[in-house]
Amino acid sequence: MKKVHETVLKETKFVGAWVLIFSALMQAVFLIIGKWDYTVLLGNILSAAAGIVSFFFLGMTIIKAVSSGDPAYAKKLMKASQAIRMLFMFGIALLGALLPCFSIWATVVPILFPRLALLIRSFMVKRMGPYDSPVIEGDSGDAAEDEDGEVEDVE
Amino acid sequence: MLELAIGIILGACALGAGMAMIAGIGPGIGEGNAVARACEAIGRQPEAKGSITSTLFVGCAIAETTGLYALVIAILLIFVAPNMLVEILTSTIA
Repeated sequence: MKKVHETVLKETKFVGAWVLIFSALMQAVFLIIGKWDYTVLLGNILSAAAGIVSFFFLGMTIIKAVSSGDPAYAKKLMKASQAIRMLFMFGIALLGALLPCFSIWATVVPILFPRLALLIRSFMVKRMGPYDSPVIEGDSGDAAEDEDGEVEDVE
Repeated sequence: MLELAIGIILGACALGAGMAMIAGIGPGIGEGNAVARACEAIGRQPEAKGSITSTLFVGCAIAETTGLYALVIAILLIFVAPNMLVEILTSTIA
């Protein structure tokens, strides 16, 4: 099984935490305006989970592209990954729109939550300065994958 | 006449959704370029790999936001706007 890079996990946890906060806020808004029912909750769960999964795969693709060391391959990989993730999100939004058990507004709005979380992250980076990943800090940059797909250093 | 008006509304919504999704092309190209340059930067300065990757994460995700805005607008134009506009039209006529 492929090992998940620690930077990806760290960023995904950060995004997941903020998506939870934003989701709670959205549920509260629906409650306040009197439009809350179980479809709002289901739609929110569906698209919040999809947003986090999409972000996780973005991270995995970035690590794979950067580890390859080949700019042309990295470019193609990112374009393909972006197209697939966009289709995935379109599929999720389509589910939310077509199935009656999901509220369309509660499905569509949380798609943007991971990006809001990253805006907060970028403000934090601006205020506190950039941080280095604990795993790849001081990395030689000659990372290679062994036969199990695990990233290891080549000295 | 009402059918024609409804047809124009539906057609305009579909056209708008299609045009909104043009914005989905940009993030793919942008992310590809960013990662390609990051690969070159890591090749030149391998010791900066950690900070380059972390910055790339945030940059790529923010670049993708444009595409997601377009996706959300397209979905709303396809599934929400036609019903709302037809309802407004029929209530205005009635």
